[in-house]
Amino acid sequence: MTGIGSYAVRSSAPRARATARGRSVRPKITGWLFVAPFALVFLVFLVVPLAYAFWLSLFSKGLATGTTFSGLANYVKAFSDPEFLGGLLFVVVFSVVLIPLQMLVSLAAALVLDTVTTKLARFSRLMIFVPYAIPAVIGALMWGFLYSPGFGPLAQVFALFHASAPNLLGSHDVFGALLNVVTWQWSGYYMIIIYAALQGIDSSLYEAARIDGANQWQIALRIKLPLVASALVLILVFALIGTLQFFTEPQVLAPSSNGVITPSFTPNMYAYNLAFANSQINYASAISFALGLVVFVGVYIFLFATRKKGRIV
Amino acid sequence: MKKKALIAAVGVAIVSLLAGCSSTGASSGSTSAATDKPQSQADKPSNCDNKIVYPSATRVSLWGWSPTLPVAVDAFDKAHKDVQICWTNAGAGSAEYQKLSTAIAAGKGAPDVVMLETDHLNSFLIKGALVNLSDYGADKWKSDFSAGTLKDISSNGGIYAIPDDGGPVALMYRKDIFDKYGLTPPKSWAQYAAAAAKLKSAGGPAIGDWPNDTPAFTQAMFAQAGANMFDYSIDKKTSLGVDIDNAASRKVLDYWDDLVQKGEVITTGQSSTDFVSELASGKVATFIAASWEPGHLTGAGFTRGPESPWRVAMLPQWNPGSPVQVNWGGSTYAVTTQSKVPHAAAEVALNLFGHENQQTLGAHFPQHLKAQKASWFVDAEDPFFGGQQANKEVWIPAAHGYKGQGYSPFQDYYYQQITAMLTKTTSGAETSAAGLSKLQATIVSYAKAQGFTVKVK
Amino acid sequence: MGAHVFLVVLVIYFLLPLWWLIVASTKDAHGLFSGTGGALWFDKTFALFDNLGLLFTYNDGIYLRWLGNSVLYAVSGGAGATALAILAGYGFAKFAFPGRRLSLALLLGSVMVPLTALVIPTFAMLSQVGMTNTIWAVILPSLLNPFGVYLMMVYATDAIPDELLDAARVDGAGELRTFFTVALPLLRPAAVTVLLLSFVGTWNNYFLPLAVLSSNNLFPVTVGLGLWDGLANSASGTGTTSLWSLIILGSLVSIIPLIVAFLSLQRYWRGGLAVGSLK
Repeated sequence: MTGIGSYAVRSSAPRARATARGRSVRPKITGWLFVAPFALVFLVFLVVPLAYAFWLSLFSKGLATGTTFSGLANYVKAFSDPEFLGGLLFVVVFSVVLIPLQMLVSLAAALVLDTVTTKLARFSRLMIFVPYAIPAVIGALMWGFLYSPGFGPLAQVFALFHASAPNLLGSHDVFGALLNVVTWQWSGYYMIIIYAALQGIDSSLYEAARIDGANQWQIALRIKLPLVASALVLILVFALIGTLQFFTEPQVLAPSSNGVITPSFTPNMYAYNLAFANSQINYASAISFALGLVVFVGVYIFLFATRKKGRIV
Repeated sequence: MKKKALIAAVGVAIVSLLAGCSSTGASSGSTSAATDKPQSQADKPSNCDNKIVYPSATRVSLWGWSPTLPVAVDAFDKAHKDVQICWTNAGAGSAEYQKLSTAIAAGKGAPDVVMLETDHLNSFLIKGALVNLSDYGADKWKSDFSAGTLKDISSNGGIYAIPDDGGPVALMYRKDIFDKYGLTPPKSWAQYAAAAAKLKSAGGPAIGDWPNDTPAFTQAMFAQAGANMFDYSIDKKTSLGVDIDNAASRKVLDYWDDLVQKGEVITTGQSSTDFVSELASGKVATFIAASWEPGHLTGAGFTRGPESPWRVAMLPQWNPGSPVQVNWGGSTYAVTTQSKVPHAAAEVALNLFGHENQQTLGAHFPQHLKAQKASWFVDAEDPFFGGQQANKEVWIPAAHGYKGQGYSPFQDYYYQQITAMLTKTTSGAETSAAGLSKLQATIVSYAKAQGFTVKVK
Repeated sequence: MGAHVFLVVLVIYFLLPLWWLIVASTKDAHGLFSGTGGALWFDKTFALFDNLGLLFTYNDGIYLRWLGNSVLYAVSGGAGATALAILAGYGFAKFAFPGRRLSLALLLGSVMVPLTALVIPTFAMLSQVGMTNTIWAVILPSLLNPFGVYLMMVYATDAIPDELLDAARVDGAGELRTFFTVALPLLRPAAVTVLLLSFVGTWNNYFLPLAVLSSNNLFPVTVGLGLWDGLANSASGTGTTSLWSLIILGSLVSIIPLIVAFLSLQRYWRGGLAVGSLK
């Protein structure tokens, strides 16, 4: 999961335009000079590779054949490929379950931490955030060990209840197992963002509400929640992009899953597997672009929907 | 101020660390091996995992993950003034293959010599990635390998890889459990099934494991029953014979599915720590394994010496009258076509593990026939098996009985599909007949899409 | 009270895997697979110091090299990415120039690109210029941090009053001088945040270094541990060393620096994280 957001798509543009108008008296070239070093890196390590990948996606090559230009045939194939579509369905369903869950955990934690100011609360705040500092690869490895019925603690815990440990990476539980890893890894980060937003609220608002007879719950729901809505939207977009591109955790856990996490479990895994294990670089590029398209459309629809709903940002 | 000093110190430490590591050896005027073009200083592979002994010599890059490599590479470098190996552990199995495939696709970045398992040879041959070592004098070693080994490293009469370690397959079993339940090592699969039933009815552990995620093992079991899934040769690059859904593979799948349904075998995946802990805790009485497995389990803290509960016996047979032996894994060394110093690279591939002295360099099971005859190898008492003379009793006869197998030119894809099939058949979601017929259909349509002319037997 | 119970439950949940990691680090291979006390408690053999000794000496101390590499990549990648982000963010926020809107649209769209799409072309590109398997193959691509640029831009827009810039210019300061003396000090809080985020991003990076590096000597610690994990689980790779103990202890040791960095620097980054969301 690469949780770097594009919430900006909409919110920054109008403001930035206003600023730009104000500064238009500057020589035109100066701004470019400041942007140039980054632009160079952006060009070399993003635009060029991307263009090259797109170029590749327009060709076909079989193991026993030469390379031929095939236009958009790879894309047509992708959108009728049951493995790609199956992976896509999984990440969509996964997002629908994961994101509300993560939001709930991080929002609840942030709201509690915003009202309680004991030492325990300060300690908790840091500890909840700790998983963010752990590389996703290592986090997934660790959970893989913990999920192992024989190697991890599960057998012991279940023995207390005279039951045998479930195989959490079996076909019935793998969804929940992955849900848990991602929630564990990212909730703390989201919690901190919401918490920082909560801390930015003028506390005199709470005083006023209390005088009006509002209790903690009402303050949380009526005042805090609307005021941190923009942070929530930011997180949602982060999470949506990251989850649709779900890759690291299932990839790391796949070897421990006895075949349940297939090489085409998520679209990104499918692309990776096609490219690296099966030498289908052209088709893999098309899958990546097809996924990028789905992500783009998904995020756009989401932003459009939240914008209509009473402009929470 | 203190902070700045600390940062500076860390910076210095990093720089010195770097300076220490990129020891490319500042000598010039290399003496190249045989008839290779002289290797320029810039072309010399650097950042080796081993120490270069003769910096001015031609340097050959090598990828491999065998635990025997550190010793073998150092020995080679000390003995060769004109050729030096620059070794890198680029990952085990598929991790390395994926890297190699990427480098082949990019047209650059592959090592000169690469460690491969024989089942993946065809997958790289079809990409034109491997050099025919027969052109570099490999043929003179032909008589030193068993027929089965030779078949696995050859295509159309050319030798494409030099074997080091083999993977003869046998039945590891827990002597303590066998004694407790009055069992003797089964000679046939019928006896194995009978032992399974006996263990189950006596409340003992499962007899063995039938994993979804170890397709090379599954494939070996198919082969033992007489299935030869693929017919492929590099001279007919675009034609492929396929015979997956046959009586032999159905027999194997039915046999194991039956044991699974009766609850007499477990189905734990073998690429997980879970399986190792189940072996350790006595949840299984036998383990069908290759000769390199004891090394693996020793790393998991398994007891060695007289206390060890493990022993090894010949693989059970479908027809004990005419036994069939199989191979699983093992390592070979091939030269890539990207190499700019193919002569030196071939020198490495051919001689890295020596010949008669292979096992002194640490091979678990040397493939060189003369190496298999040295008395201290033959008579060795393996502490993992409680001092049993495992080489003499089991591994050597198992290796000699191996006749070679046919592999596909897209072995990783085939393996993935085996795993996909097993997740359905083992869980009972699909019958073995349906699973195998689907597997064959999937492979045939994939091969056709890849441009092969497919011949279904 | 209820709030505290809730917090304690959360803390247990978030720390449980770490507790397991700490306990498991003290076990030898035998203790891991068939030890006493179970997975969440110590074995009768306490092997932490043996494991530590093995970790730092195995393969000529390769683990220490990996840690050093991670620090090098994260520090240089993080610092470089932050420098570029500050410059570009300032440029976008305070100047009008042709192509600005298009550039911004590209910048914001770029976060939706799946990384797998980039790995192969990047590998091909780097190998053409002979840069695969060098430190540059990791450092240069990690200079790219579009989100950092966005963060800096949003922050710079509000944090640097235009009047201040104009005053400096009226005083005759050049654009660079204005940037360094007026703008840069004001951008510090956001800069620290971007630095930390890009540091973490590079430190956690796995698939790019995995694809472009082949020498163990150059691996960052994530890729190195991944290598060990592969070797431990592929039976033929291990030899007789218990790699599992090394993987577990190696994971623990590798996450300590980052946790310490975060905990000690929290006053700097906490506010910054909200920059993107607060108006």
